[in-house]
Amino acid sequence: MSDTAAARRPEAGDHVSPASGPWPITLDNVTVRYPNGVVALKDVSLSIGAGEMVAVVGLSGSGKSTMIRTINGLVQPTQGTVTVGPHAMTSLKGAALRRARGDIGMIFQSFNLADRTSVYRNAMVGRFSHTPTWRTLLGISTAEDRDIVMRALASVGMLEKVWGRAGALSGGQKQRVAIARALAQEPAVMLADEPVASLDPPTAHSVMADLADINADRGLTVLVNLHLMDLARQYTTRMIGLRAGEVVYDGPAASATDADFEQIYGRPVQQRDRLGEK
Amino acid sequence: MTATATTASATRLAIPAKPRRLAVRAAGWAATVVILLAFWDIDLEWDKIAGLPADLAHYGALMFSDPNWSMLGEAALQTWRSVSMAWIGAILGVVLSTLLGIPAAQGVGPAWVRLPLRVIFAVIRAMPEVLIAILILTVTGLTPFTGALALAIGGIGTHAKWTYETIEAVPPGTAEAVRASGGSLVEVIRWGLWPVAAPELMSLALYRFEINVRTSAILGLIGVGGIGAMLTDYTQHREWDTVGVLIIVVIVVTMVIDAISGAIRRRIMEGAKVRGVERQH
Repeated sequence: MSDTAAARRPEAGDHVSPASGPWPITLDNVTVRYPNGVVALKDVSLSIGAGEMVAVVGLSGSGKSTMIRTINGLVQPTQGTVTVGPHAMTSLKGAALRRARGDIGMIFQSFNLADRTSVYRNAMVGRFSHTPTWRTLLGISTAEDRDIVMRALASVGMLEKVWGRAGALSGGQKQRVAIARALAQEPAVMLADEPVASLDPPTAHSVMADLADINADRGLTVLVNLHLMDLARQYTTRMIGLRAGEVVYDGPAASATDADFEQIYGRPVQQRDRLGEK
Repeated sequence: MTATATTASATRLAIPAKPRRLAVRAAGWAATVVILLAFWDIDLEWDKIAGLPADLAHYGALMFSDPNWSMLGEAALQTWRSVSMAWIGAILGVVLSTLLGIPAAQGVGPAWVRLPLRVIFAVIRAMPEVLIAILILTVTGLTPFTGALALAIGGIGTHAKWTYETIEAVPPGTAEAVRASGGSLVEVIRWGLWPVAAPELMSLALYRFEINVRTSAILGLIGVGGIGAMLTDYTQHREWDTVGVLIIVVIVVTMVIDAISGAIRRRIMEGAKVRGVERQH
């Protein structure tokens, strides 16, 4: 995808995010206890700098999915505070919370597109927080919104599929549309929850490269949940290890040793902890 | 496989105690008693049943040996009226059901909205359309509009229930993505739930129309017009050759509508599936 990176560069300046620059993320003593009694995060404190590319590594059930959702307010912590740029996420409600979410892009393991709707309509969802509700309900978008969506799709190489149905796309294409949907928000922060866990290895690598490009070219703060050690080492600069809801590692990703990963996983490193196949 | 089988038969098996299921057995006996009571109460006249085949043959001959085809035009007109009643009833009912059914879904409306709505749907479901028509004809009179309105209101009971059940069965991912990008509740419904649920709801709406075609004929019996009203009139005047035509028209039209509507429903649900490769029939 490096060939498209150059083509993307001018756009980074075209559409400046509301904050005009990336934002830091701060978690202060965040605890999440679900109604069924499960404690998903235990007193987590973190500080992520503006423009960092961070991997959150842990096995399933380690709390990384919960953590990423506290950052955009999909999960509200039982205790503690989360701050993203100017937004105190934990004290926001209603329209203010929705506006803050509009500045934070998110992609998911299962892509979460509306399969029976066009790629265009799916990507347009990224404009919701910037558009009056009557427009979004009727599907009447402004020329500006349309332009932003088309550019976002072009930047991930999905423009030619714009009128096709999302359900007809391959997994990798779906994830690119999902990235375009998030980019259409013109966010300051990009969250990714296991973005490549449903993809085959070559596609996984190209989607990770897309995220690295977003970090490098658009200068967004990127937070990626991963469970594979080689992807974390290769594409991110900093790694946060979570085990049973607690931070057990926080340091550079590239130089993290197998012993560090064993500490995060709480067991010896296995073959399936690597994706391989560049 | 054989090795485990041998060891299993060599050792004593710890077979769990067979459950007694007293409640199930009691319910079975209760049902039997109710059925027996029903037979005793209705007082079946078996001798009349014995005469039924002969009677059927007699009236069948009256109706179908020489149907009065000159009435076909009038029959078609009245059938059209019944089908219109069914259509208007289905459209009104489905629109109302969608508006009321979506807030009644878990995860959309709060409990104080959901529960009263569900009670209303349940009450409507308990009332047959004929009963609803009798109740509202005091206001709207004996017109096809009364029939359409009765079908619309009656349709809410089941269609709204189907609507909220379909919405609840939608996988949460798409809705979460809309919420994550800053969408409000109505936007989550419009672009996170509706696109996923729409094909199934459309299919159910057509099914509602099929049901309404049948029910509209019954509604005619109480005099709101259409083929049912015509059928009642000619039966009461014992003009069997015309009744024969009417029955043929009702059956043919209903079957044709069922076939067309069923084909469209299959198309909708097939189109709803992810199409990776081209489909072959």
